Amino acid sequence: MGILEVKDLFCGYEKVPVIKGVSFSVNKGEFIGIIGPNGAGKTTFFRAISGLLRPAGGGIEYKGKDVLKIPPKEFASEIAVIPQMLDVPFDFTVGEFVMMGRFSLRGRFESLKEEDHKALKEILEMTDMTSLKERRISELSGGERQRAVLAQGFAQEPELLIMDEPTAALDIGHKVRIMDLVKRLKKKRALTVLAAFHDLNLASVYSDKLILLKEGKVFTTGTPGDVLTYQNVEEVYKTLVVVKEDPVSAKPCVFLVSAEDEKKSPQPPFSKGETL
Amino acid sequence: MKKKNVLILFALAVVLSGGIIAAVLVGRSGIGVGKTLYYLLHPCAAGMERDILWQIRFPRVILSVLVGAALASCGVVFQALLRNPLAESYTLGVSGGAAFGAVLAAVLKLSGIYLPFFAFFGSGASIFFVYIIASKKRFSNSALILGGVVLSYLFSALVLLIFSLSRAEDVHGVLLWLMGDLSIASLCVVKMTPFFILPAVGILFMFTRDLNILTLGEEKAKQLGVNLATTKKTLFICASLMAGACVAAAGIIGFVGLIIPHIARKIFGADHRKVLPASCLIGAIFLLVCDTAARNIIYPLELPVGVITGIFGGIFFLSFLWNTKRGNLF
Repeated sequence: MGILEVKDLFCGYEKVPVIKGVSFSVNKGEFIGIIGPNGAGKTTFFRAISGLLRPAGGGIEYKGKDVLKIPPKEFASEIAVIPQMLDVPFDFTVGEFVMMGRFSLRGRFESLKEEDHKALKEILEMTDMTSLKERRISELSGGERQRAVLAQGFAQEPELLIMDEPTAALDIGHKVRIMDLVKRLKKKRALTVLAAFHDLNLASVYSDKLILLKEGKVFTTGTPGDVLTYQNVEEVYKTLVVVKEDPVSAKPCVFLVSAEDEKKSPQPPFSKGETL
Repeated sequence: MKKKNVLILFALAVVLSGGIIAAVLVGRSGIGVGKTLYYLLHPCAAGMERDILWQIRFPRVILSVLVGAALASCGVVFQALLRNPLAESYTLGVSGGAAFGAVLAAVLKLSGIYLPFFAFFGSGASIFFVYIIASKKRFSNSALILGGVVLSYLFSALVLLIFSLSRAEDVHGVLLWLMGDLSIASLCVVKMTPFFILPAVGILFMFTRDLNILTLGEEKAKQLGVNLATTKKTLFICASLMAGACVAAAGIIGFVGLIIPHIARKIFGADHRKVLPASCLIGAIFLLVCDTAARNIIYPLELPVGVITGIFGGIFFLSFLWNTKRGNLF
C-alpha cells in the first residue's frame, strides 16, 4: 500500500464537479508529477489533499488515515504544501518566516529550543539562504521568495511534499535551481514528492512517474516516456506537438508547433507512432 | 529574542511605570507632590485629598493604561486575522455598533449603569457580523474594510436619527461618551474593566505564533498546523471582550488600534511575539499621555481624550503616509 491513497475521488465547488473519479496511489520515496491542461483539476486536487475541500465522494488516505481526520498539527508535521504563490502582507524576516514552518513541532507553552535554531540554520544553508536570514520578505526577488516558501516547507520536516506548480512564476534558471533543490532534499530526507506542473518538460525531467489529468479524470499514468507521447499530449491539450528524446536525460521532450509552421510543413513533421 | 529588542521592551516598561507615577502626581486639584506621595504610600489615611487620589485620579490613570493596551492589542489581532494593516475596531464598524448601543440605552432612559452594557453588546454584535463576513464569504480584505466603513456610516446615521428625534438633554450625556472620555465611567465599571481586559490579553500572549502564521492566509495557516476553527474563535472572542470593555469604560477612542501596532512594527518588524507586547506597552503609554494632557491642557475645562487621540493620530498618520515610500506602506 502506498503512503498516499486517492480512492475514487469526486470533488469540486458548489455544485460544479471538477474532479470526477480519480484514483491512484503514491509510494514512499516516489517523485510524482501531475500534469494536465488548465481546469483539469490539479489545484482542486491539491486543495482536497490538504483538507481544504471536502470531497463529494471517495476519499484520500494518508498512511491509512482519512486526511480530513488528521489533526492539523499532526498533518503539518507529515505533509508540507507549497503553493504557486504565497502572499505575505506582513513584512517578516526570512528567518522568522522559515521558522513558522516549525509551528507544528512545538506546543503552545514550549518556547523555541536550541534544536529549532539548529534546524533553521541547516535549512537556510541547504536552500542557500543563510545570507538572507535577516532580510525582509518584501525585499526578496521572485526566485528567493519561492525558495523561502520551500524552506518553510522543509522546516516542517515532512515526509510528503506537495507542490502546486512551485516554479510557475520563475525563469528557467530559477526553475532548475528550485527543482534541483527539491530533488536533493528528496534524496537526503527520503521525501515523497507530489508536484503539479504546467511545464511538461520540467515534469518530464524531474518526475519518476507522471499522472496526466483530463477533465477531472486520470487520462493515463506511467513513466514520462509512457505518458508524454505526442498522441496523449495532442489529445489532452488539443495542441499539435512534436515529442523527441532529450539527448541528455533521455526523457521525452515536447516541442510546440505553431499554426503557421504546421501549414508550411510539406508533410506532417512527424509520422504516426514516432516519438523517438 | 535578540538583546536589543528585549532592551527596548524593558525601556518601554520603565517609561510606562514612570508615566503612571507622573500622571498620578499631575492634577489640577492642587495637591502637592509631597502630599500625593504621602497619600499614595498611606492608602488608609483619611481626607478628601486622599479620596481624590485613590478614587478618582488613580483609577483613571490605571484605566487609561488598560484601555490603551487593550485598544492597541485589539488592533494587532484584527490586523493579523483579517490580514489587513488598516483593520481596527474603528474601521471595522465595531465602535459604530457600540455607539448605536449606547445611544439606544440613553433613549430608552436606561443610561447610567446600563449604558456600558448596551455599548458592550453593540460592539459585540458588530464583531460577530465582521466574523461571519470574514469566515463565510470570501471577500477580499479591502472589501471587508470598506464594509466596515459602510457599517460605521450606517450606525452613525442611525445615531443621528435618534438624536434628531430626541430632546437634547436626554442625549447630552451620550454625546460626551461618543467623543471618548475616560472620566465618564462609574467606579463600578472601572473596577470591572480589568477582569475583561487582563485575561483576554493574557490569552492573546499565548497565541502570538498563531497570529504570525494567520497573516499568511487561512489556507497556509491550516497547512502549517494551526487549528483554524478554535484559534479564530478564541481570537475573535478575546478581541470582542477587549473592544467591548474599552467602549463600555471609555466611549469611542479612535486611532489607537490603528497607529500603535504600526509603530510597534516599525521598531520590531512583523513578528507578533514582539509586536504584541510592544503594542500593549506603547498603547498604554500613548493613552496615558493623551489622557493626562486631556485633564490638564485647558484647565479648568477638560477635553475628551478621543479628541486628543484623534488629533495626534490623524497628524501622525498623515506624516506617516507622507514619509512612506510608494508601495512600502505596510
